[in-house]
Amino acid sequence: MLLELRAVAVTYGKVSAIRDISLKVPDGQIVTIIGSNGAGKTTTLRAISGLTRLREGEIHFAGERIDHLDPDRIVARGIAHVPEGRRIFPDLTVEENLRTGAFLRRERETVERDLDAVYDRFPLLLERRTQLAKTMSGGEQQMLVIGRALMAKPKLLLMDEPSMGLAPKIVEDIAKIIGEINAQGVPVILVEQNAELALELADYAYVLETGSLALEGPADELHDNEHVRAAYLGI
Amino acid sequence: MVELLAQTGLNALYAASYTALVAVGLVLIFGVMGVINFAHGELFMLGAYAIVAVYADWNLPYLVAVAVGMAFVGIVGLGMERAFFRPLRDNPLGGLVASIGFLMILQALASMGFGVRMEHVPPVTQDVIVISEKVRLPVFRLAVILAAVVLLASLWAFLTKTRFGWALRASAQDPEAAALQGISINQTARIAMFIGAALAGVAGALTAPLISVNPHMGHSVIVTAFIVIIVGGIGSLEGAVIVAVAYAFVHTFVTTFFDGVIADIVGLLLMLVVLIVKPTGLFGSTDRA
Repeated sequence: MLLELRAVAVTYGKVSAIRDISLKVPDGQIVTIIGSNGAGKTTTLRAISGLTRLREGEIHFAGERIDHLDPDRIVARGIAHVPEGRRIFPDLTVEENLRTGAFLRRERETVERDLDAVYDRFPLLLERRTQLAKTMSGGEQQMLVIGRALMAKPKLLLMDEPSMGLAPKIVEDIAKIIGEINAQGVPVILVEQNAELALELADYAYVLETGSLALEGPADELHDNEHVRAAYLGI
Repeated sequence: MVELLAQTGLNALYAASYTALVAVGLVLIFGVMGVINFAHGELFMLGAYAIVAVYADWNLPYLVAVAVGMAFVGIVGLGMERAFFRPLRDNPLGGLVASIGFLMILQALASMGFGVRMEHVPPVTQDVIVISEKVRLPVFRLAVILAAVVLLASLWAFLTKTRFGWALRASAQDPEAAALQGISINQTARIAMFIGAALAGVAGALTAPLISVNPHMGHSVIVTAFIVIIVGGIGSLEGAVIVAVAYAFVHTFVTTFFDGVIADIVGLLLMLVVLIVKPTGLFGSTDRA
């Protein structure tokens, strides 16, 4: 198992955010966490990347326990996190943003090659490479942060609400890109409010409700689950 | 009249040079660590006392004393980061209060070590460039201006051309997103604190021979630096440099043509106007003000 959460709990002050979350991400797959606003999806990702400390439980990545590490050490192990709300560096140029993604990598040549690969995938970013990131549209910024995460050459990619606030056409593009990245061998944890999109892309899905796991199963099975259809797919 | 204007302009340029060094350090520390370092004026004071000790008392060469002062104050900055800014990282108000406490400790230590009297540092050079009958530029002032320009240009090159400089700017813009790129918050905090403190220290060291050094000299410098960074936009390094120059010109000209008290009032009024018209400061961005 590439990533495993064992009975993880997080509290903010005295308020419980998530409790008893156990989930697994096998190598190569897309695993999605769906749920409504405030269910604890973002908290789960923040716990994995070390931005939020655990109250209880353990997180293991590639056979090693990582829940006591600082965020930069977790990045060094190979987990890249595309945070909610994109979080570009507004006053850096597009290319500088991309290069910060490779901050920990010292091998110059492969970094340059990966930069070219990101520009191949997102030709628009190449056009704008000297522009300040804050001057770009929401969809472009989403592509920038995905490109930035790829520059880290991750072994696992965490994506928090990549479709948020984007036009349907761009959401489709982003979905296609996530599929392509995964097809090239990068496992993904996808957190989404857009359950339709998430279940379509993912291999396996977890449903979070008010901080605990309500359901889990292969994505196509959950897609046909009555509760999921009623609560998240609006069918 | 032209000569008076030229002379006042040169005086303003000199005032701008050390104000910019102090203000830029303050902005850098605030940007990367999110904390207001109230002890920044006392770091300036420490730099000046380094000159009193190393240059005036031990008779070592002035440049050696400047280097010692810069390094020493930078190390004090590292100590501050480790001792209280880091443990209080999630508590910016706590960091601010701790820095006020540290300010008093530094003033007390300076008084105990050197006494409360004014220290006068012997001049490094008395040479004066005579531009015309009434326009004169002391060589030492010119050296201070040039040193400030070189230091600020080096800082700029560091921030824009090097890997750690990028990391610092990324951290200042979004610390959490920076951490997610593998940038260590402790490391950027250390770098920012060392550079910020060293710049205050070198500003104090450079000006020491031209002013009277005393344990409370940090006060007026820090007030000016606060006005500068508030007007410039509290997270903006460019803003700090540009406004430091602009403020020094306004302040020096008003002082020359009216007096120092009116100059202070004009400076504070300008700050008030900017805060009313553009609360994020002239060069500040809206998201981290």
